[in-house]
Amino acid sequence: MLIQFLLIGTVIVLLVFFLRHHGTTKTAAGVKIGFALFMVLAAVAVLRPADVSKLAEFVGVGRGTDLLLYALVVAFGFATINTYLRFKELELRYARLARAIALRNAEAPKHEDLNVDAEDPARSA
Amino acid sequence: MADQSDVWLVVPVYNEAQVIADVVRNALETFPNIVCVDDGSRDGSAEAIRGSGAHLVQHPVNLGQGAAIQTGVEYARSQPGAEYFVTFDADGQHQVADVLRMLERLRAEPVDIIVGTRFKGDASHIPLIKRVVLKTVVAVSPRLRKLKLSDAHNGLRVFNKKVADELRITLNGMGHASQIVDQISQRGWRVTEEQVEILYTEYSMSKGQSLINGVNILFDTALKTGSKR
Repeated sequence: MLIQFLLIGTVIVLLVFFLRHHGTTKTAAGVKIGFALFMVLAAVAVLRPADVSKLAEFVGVGRGTDLLLYALVVAFGFATINTYLRFKELELRYARLARAIALRNAEAPKHEDLNVDAEDPARSA
Repeated sequence: MADQSDVWLVVPVYNEAQVIADVVRNALETFPNIVCVDDGSRDGSAEAIRGSGAHLVQHPVNLGQGAAIQTGVEYARSQPGAEYFVTFDADGQHQVADVLRMLERLRAEPVDIIVGTRFKGDASHIPLIKRVVLKTVVAVSPRLRKLKLSDAHNGLRVFNKKVADELRITLNGMGHASQIVDQISQRGWRVTEEQVEILYTEYSMSKGQSLINGVNILFDTALKTGSKR
């Protein structure tokens, strides 16, 4: 069935594209275009369900509703990955920020402590 | 004993108040330079470190072990005279004698980084499940086999300034071990490994990396993005 190739193909292409080029302006634009297309298709599906059914039949899915469902699953998957990657990126920036603060406030050991070997008057474990 | 003032021990610490002071004091007998990175502990680890004679770098929030190691290495490599770096666990499972042996090799042999392994000699002291999991990791990773490494998730590593300067751990959590292996192969660092002994004390066992965490590591590693920033 055509739909199987289409779905699996889309998933693979999008996944590779996402992981390779995530975070570039191009990808951000691509995501927006994809979203706009999705919205247009949604509008078409509402206004002319018969066309969606025809398309569904053409790619080998029974009804238009099923086609929409498939598309939704793929879209949801990518929304999830997109969010996940965005979070990872934020986490990395956050780590760098925290690291900069940590390094700025680093404390060297006090000199008395260095010379005391056996007994440490400052602290007992 | 050789002068170890060009060596820096990097110790990531997260909620180790019970043991960290002893671990540091023990290591200080051999190594004068130790930096403990307190990864946002909530149990007074920072206080324990402050009195122990180690340098203290404190993450304001908990970030994960990978982030702590990166912070510690960045701190250590900016210190004058730092030539050799050691990542050392805070819970007392690593042996100073192992570190000395690794350093001796690093100074003498043409290698950039030496990774500790639990599997070169007798491995029977390692808990069985852990052994099986760790061996599986190696078996399914072509990169590890290519580099002839038998134990990727060993926290004990010794490396030189070149590696310290180039090291860039971006996986904050436990995925950093695999990331270090990736960077070894990407940046062409010369690597070898050395048999080390891990003390599986009750304390370290109770804290040890849970095996379930392996799932998280696999996931993070698989979804690592191509962005190189």
